Amino acid sequence: MSELQWGLTMTAAGMGLVFGLLALLWGLLTLVLRFDREPPEAPPAEAATAPAADAAAPAPTEGIAPELVAAITVATLAHVAAGRRVAAPLMRSYWPGSQLFASRWVAIGRGRQNTTWRGGDR
Amino acid sequence: MGGDTIGLLLQGVTSITPQSVVMIAVAGVLLYLGIAKDYEPLLLVPIASGCILANLPLSPLIAEDGMLRVLYDMGIRNELFPLLIFIGIGALTDFGPLLENPKMVLLGAAGQFGIFLTLLLALAIGFTRPEAASIGIIGAIDGPTSIYVSGILAPHLLGPITVAAYSYMSLVPIIMPPIMRALTTEKERKIRMPYSQRKISRRTRILFPIVVTIVVGTLVPFATPLIGMLMLGNLMKESGVVERLTKASSNEIANTVTLFLGLAIGSTMVGTEFLKLSTLAILVLGIVAFGVDTAAGVLFAKLMNVLSGGRVNPLIGAAGISAFPMAARVVQRVAQEDDFENFLLMHAMGANAAGQIASVVAGGVLLALMGAGGH
Repeated sequence: MSELQWGLTMTAAGMGLVFGLLALLWGLLTLVLRFDREPPEAPPAEAATAPAADAAAPAPTEGIAPELVAAITVATLAHVAAGRRVAAPLMRSYWPGSQLFASRWVAIGRGRQNTTWRGGDR
Repeated sequence: MGGDTIGLLLQGVTSITPQSVVMIAVAGVLLYLGIAKDYEPLLLVPIASGCILANLPLSPLIAEDGMLRVLYDMGIRNELFPLLIFIGIGALTDFGPLLENPKMVLLGAAGQFGIFLTLLLALAIGFTRPEAASIGIIGAIDGPTSIYVSGILAPHLLGPITVAAYSYMSLVPIIMPPIMRALTTEKERKIRMPYSQRKISRRTRILFPIVVTIVVGTLVPFATPLIGMLMLGNLMKESGVVERLTKASSNEIANTVTLFLGLAIGSTMVGTEFLKLSTLAILVLGIVAFGVDTAAGVLFAKLMNVLSGGRVNPLIGAAGISAFPMAARVVQRVAQEDDFENFLLMHAMGANAAGQIASVVAGGVLLALMGAGGH
């Protein structure tokens, strides 16, 4: 009987504490969320201190549908990537030794035949 | 070649005991469940392997300096492994759905009722108080919490408790639905809960683990290791500035520790210790704990439904158990059986995330009430 009483006391105290603690957590979370507001996008004060030319210039996407802006962005990025591929042999876009976007000539190692400092191999 | 030499050579064969044969067969069942049925394979395969290795005759692995013994001493005896796993769980858990609807935290509390009812049943069967509390913690439906608490209160029951906790956790999709259907009407299951995603700022997401750690750690110091590690992982994830640590915690560290933990747990399943009537009782009590948790969650959600004027689908109460995120998926599936277009998943995820925190809190409360786990 004493074991059962102990068990019932544990149940009452345990569930009471669990509920009490989590109810407290609920209250705290609600409080934190009450102050959870997104920061203002662009404070007017900052806009005033920005360079006059920037402040006066309209947003480049103003008046354009979001879908069109997205399409232009994708096209621009694709164009930049293509440009990188073409220019890769001349302009290093990646870390030394990378074969990314290298020309076929470089990628298969033919470019190494032009190195004059490896006389012993030739 | 003398008789002694032959005796030494055949020592392995002559040392086979019926218990070890049975335990190897048990390990075979666990391997089958893990490999063929895909039930928690990450834990069951290492546990079963540890069990086989520990039950081989004269296994050097469980001798004084054997590998499995060393793993047990370095990670289970001092509670290190479950805590390291908690960092990974925290790094993998998104508490966003809970932050969007904080009252779901109460469903997490209701989902812990099974702990205490199982404790009562274990006492009635004749287990001692620390043993009963350890068996009850299976009702937290959270593997690392079960290992942590039972490792402190009743280390000799660690094997069966862990096997029960993880085996039943993998059976959540089978155990929960009949209880959920039995306790709800079709009308209740069809209740739709509109979901409007609220954007939670990065600041709040970062504040959340800090606030939870400080509040829970202050009020229940026994829960500090569990909640502290869980929230550390979450803080790293949400801060976004330690991506490498977050990835390491949720991948490399969690995977390595899971392997070590499984092997060490399996090594405790030695025939002479495991094959007792008490093990069978623990396995039965474990499934009772799962059932009671589910029922209590659903019943509490029914109460919330009444108080809110019919706006809460009682099914989401079942997700208040830990078993993250499987329980939430089960709720969604059961809800769709009656109304295919009913979308409860995000509400259930909120309750499920609450269950994750509540199980840790319940573990700490249990240790506090038992006066264990401190310094």
